[in-house]
Amino acid sequence: MMGAMAAALNGVHFALLGGASVLVPRSQRREWRREWRAELWHARQMRRPGGVLCVMGEQEIAAFCLGAFQDALCLRGERTEEKAPRRNSAAQCLLRLAAITAAGVLMAELTPGVRRAANVGRYEISSDLMLIADASSGDGKEPISARRYRGWKASQQRYFETFAFYSLDREPAPSSGEPAWRLAYASENLFQVLGLPLRFAAEDGSGSAGAYAQVVLSCDAVEREFGGSAPLAGLPIRVGGQMAVFAGMLPCGAWRLPGRVDAWLLEPDEALGKAARGFLVARLSAFGKEETEGRGVQITEGDPEEPAGIFWGEPIETRARGPWDLYRFAALLALLALPAVTSVSMGDYSFSTHRPSWRRRLVRWAFLSAKIGMVLVCGYYLPLDLAYWRSAAYAYYAPQYLQLAATFLLCLMGMRWALADQKQRCPVCLSKVTNPAQVGQASRTFLAWNGTEMICLGGHTLLHVPGLPTSWFSTQRWLYLDASWEFLFSGVGEG
Amino acid sequence: MAAQGGTEVKLSHTAAMILQAIHAGFVYGFSIMEMTGLPSGTVYPAMRRLERDALIRSQWEKQSIADAEQRPPRKYYKLTTAGKATLEASRRRYPLLERLVPAFTPGEEARQT
Repeated sequence: MMGAMAAALNGVHFALLGGASVLVPRSQRREWRREWRAELWHARQMRRPGGVLCVMGEQEIAAFCLGAFQDALCLRGERTEEKAPRRNSAAQCLLRLAAITAAGVLMAELTPGVRRAANVGRYEISSDLMLIADASSGDGKEPISARRYRGWKASQQRYFETFAFYSLDREPAPSSGEPAWRLAYASENLFQVLGLPLRFAAEDGSGSAGAYAQVVLSCDAVEREFGGSAPLAGLPIRVGGQMAVFAGMLPCGAWRLPGRVDAWLLEPDEALGKAARGFLVARLSAFGKEETEGRGVQITEGDPEEPAGIFWGEPIETRARGPWDLYRFAALLALLALPAVTSVSMGDYSFSTHRPSWRRRLVRWAFLSAKIGMVLVCGYYLPLDLAYWRSAAYAYYAPQYLQLAATFLLCLMGMRWALADQKQRCPVCLSKVTNPAQVGQASRTFLAWNGTEMICLGGHTLLHVPGLPTSWFSTQRWLYLDASWEFLFSGVGEG
Repeated sequence: MAAQGGTEVKLSHTAAMILQAIHAGFVYGFSIMEMTGLPSGTVYPAMRRLERDALIRSQWEKQSIADAEQRPPRKYYKLTTAGKATLEASRRRYPLLERLVPAFTPGEEARQT
């Protein structure tokens, strides 16, 4: 019994040492483990006299083993310190930024809510399209009858050349326990007139299946009903309790007309119910474009069969305000605010006329551009992830405000960091200057400069930052070191 | 912190005690722990730093000696010339150091044989 317990405790001791050894740099690990195992042997000899186990003794042995973690961390810390100069290299900086950027992009691609939000605003609608609604009641948002649509389409028009129509199903009803479909009944040419692309549609435009109407599904409906995998074009599917032929999927964020719709049932004009009321999409003729000049117009019509109607035609917003627009606005604001939070000077002043070669200067500017570029990419994706990672679809208000604020702050602080970081990088090797040393005294600032001196560990430059800016020394300066300094730096920074 | 010609290295009391213990003949980690009463988490990292600063150096015991005594070989530590100089300076700084860690007495266990 005692032997088994001792063996179990020994196993725990070795496990503790094994765990601690993982922290030790690989090159030192073998010797470190050998030493600690030897020391453990002595600890056991002293704390288990005659091989007898006692609580106090075992506690001391356990405490001894736990000390191995501190030793391992100490060795690891020393190795980290040795590597520190290399961590400050330009490549490491870019790699870290690239990793953050990649994580942001990856998260945006893998999170459905973020992916959908990113698509909003990608699809443009032609600027010569108008949405016509009944304005008799005053607000200009009431639907008009399908009969009137057919009448307009059949007659010669001066202002308009093409019409399309859709009506919203006012009473979506769940069928056999399925969630309610939000249906719209539309003329067959609706998406052609709008110029919106349909995904997964038949390439030859076919897809009619006799008695069944064609149906276009929203991306939300495809996600919800088919798990994101759209059915084959031309395949009959059940939509809201009726059969229809799948004609394509409208990409997320493409629909910007009134009504939230899961499926558009495309029907011939004569099949659209006489009493159906909906919205009219009209393409302006050349004459109409000249007359309206992009503004909304009031249309009055005297119909012999219906009372005189007053309608309001409003240009369809050519592009939805999506995350991209918010991002551009916030990034521009951040750019304008940047001079208020940091100096945009690069601190390129030198004590001498010496300048790095044009190639090095080019590399330096490319490095700064890469940093700012990646900061701006992060400024788009990370706030988008933050605002929409829990949203099922693009939403207004709270996520938009969150995205706006986060983008502004991230872009502002990111560009500020990029500039500050650049000012502390040696113009020759782009590694960060280090080992700050205080030089001079503030009380003697008119006799000699005082401030902080930092050095490039590659031995290329010294950076002098004035502690108290004066008219003759107001900004940081680089002092380029000549070859006579090289012997001082041989071996420095080698990990 | 490398001790180089003419530079006096100032050690902490713990490091000075470990240096004194090694000088006194307690030449492997566990014996230093026993002598100084310091925990393993203090002694071993301190010895790493002393070795890094070239105040002590280590050497593995011969396997044959360890085999003869039926135990694993020990890693022994020894003061370098710089270490001896630093210890002298530390003794002036910490006058009780020699009393805290008395010199080796024959027959005492847990020391180098």
